[in-house]
Amino acid sequence: MQEYRKISITKDEIRTVAQRMRDNGVHLAMIHAFLDENGKGNVSYEYEIDPAIESYTVEGENVLPTITDIYDLGAEWPEREIMELMDIKFEGVDTSKRLFMPESMFADQGGHILVTPMEDLINEKKAKEDEK
Amino acid sequence: MSYIVPIGPYHPALEEPVHARLITDGESITDAEVFIGYNHRGIEKLAQQKNFIQTLVMVERVCGICSHSHAFSYAMALESIAQMNVPKRGQYIRVIIAELERLHSHYLWLGIALHIIGHDSMFMHTWDDREAIMDILEELTGNRVNYGIITVGGARRDITPEQKQHTLEMLDKIEDSMDRLKEMLLSDKTVALRTQGVGVLTTEDAIRIGAVGPHARASNMAVDVRKDAPYSSYDDFDFEKAVFPTCDVFSRVVIRVLENYESIKIIRQALEMLPKGPINLGTRIPKIPAGEYMVRHEAPRGQLTYKVVTDGGETNKRVSIHVPTFKNAPTVPTMLKGNSVADAGLIIASIDPCFSCMDR
Repeated sequence: MQEYRKISITKDEIRTVAQRMRDNGVHLAMIHAFLDENGKGNVSYEYEIDPAIESYTVEGENVLPTITDIYDLGAEWPEREIMELMDIKFEGVDTSKRLFMPESMFADQGGHILVTPMEDLINEKKAKEDEK
Repeated sequence: MSYIVPIGPYHPALEEPVHARLITDGESITDAEVFIGYNHRGIEKLAQQKNFIQTLVMVERVCGICSHSHAFSYAMALESIAQMNVPKRGQYIRVIIAELERLHSHYLWLGIALHIIGHDSMFMHTWDDREAIMDILEELTGNRVNYGIITVGGARRDITPEQKQHTLEMLDKIEDSMDRLKEMLLSDKTVALRTQGVGVLTTEDAIRIGAVGPHARASNMAVDVRKDAPYSSYDDFDFEKAVFPTCDVFSRVVIRVLENYESIKIIRQALEMLPKGPINLGTRIPKIPAGEYMVRHEAPRGQLTYKVVTDGGETNKRVSIHVPTFKNAPTVPTMLKGNSVADAGLIIASIDPCFSCMDR
């Protein structure tokens, strides 16, 4: 049966762990992230060690090294999506073109829809409707 | 002469919005880019405002095809955080609906692929067969699309002995029609000419990019969450991982045919061995302690992941949804290279994309 194992690591260990996993043929299931109450990042690198998921988690960091040179597109899309949805950056990823959010939103709001308060989003929508 | 040919986000060959930019040399595609997010509805954001049952209802609407997979995965994540033991009968009912969903999804894809290659008579035949599966789903759940069969802690509706008998009879008929369809798909010249050697994704590329599900299995990768990391009651059933080695669009056709047989096998076993007892742990809004869990589920299109973080309150702290298309769409540029522009629509469709799912 499936298991979930959370393992805390530091920012400096991210690439070492990724390289070790890659060398052992381990599939990167996903990179997940959320911001805590203080706006600090919580980023988990979820590796498939069947039947378990080993979740290597970095807490309290908003700028992290990329692992796209290790896991290629399997890591690039998750990293770019996180960058567009919340205030977490991956150094070394090409973000010259949008992936997920509209360019207008990316420019105007930093693309951080996931952490923008719901009331702000509702008010913005109402304001646009009033303009019409 | 080199041209950039844009496809989408709205295009007759696409069922849902996505934008692909093809860099061409004459008729041949030399490179491609894919852009997503045109159907983003902020579902993860909304999940942070809703209680667990409201979220269950909402995530079932992430997708119109694999709706059950979303509710199933979200419920499993909560049950794992709360350490609930789902009654065996409820687990079996969930699996039956999941495999019926896989059947109708695979039939749907086969029909669309046939339509794209211009074989409309076989497209009609495929979708006619699919109706029988939709009828079973409607009979068992009351719905044809969003089944509402899942609750946190089990299933919401039981299967009666009459429904069980009728479903088994219908499966015999579906299997008979599947035999005829298999014969046609594997021997038809039009299908072979349009799909064999087209949109190749080598095993090395599939592993490098991280392809999942039938798309990966059609590139000779033996991955299937139901076998590799069993969940619910999949351990109880005898079935095979379907793998095919030609790595092209034809391989993706074959995989879905083979998997249909395996799904029928699982449904039969689940119905025949359906345990006695309760189907759920009650239908009240559950109390979920603080915690986090990531669930993997083999949805019709591949591995679906749900990461749920709770803080002991009434709402989700974070729900992160990643669907198979999110993992398979990055393979599209690789598959497009070296093919003709005329095949681009078929190659994009060959990953069985669900862009609404992916954009959520």
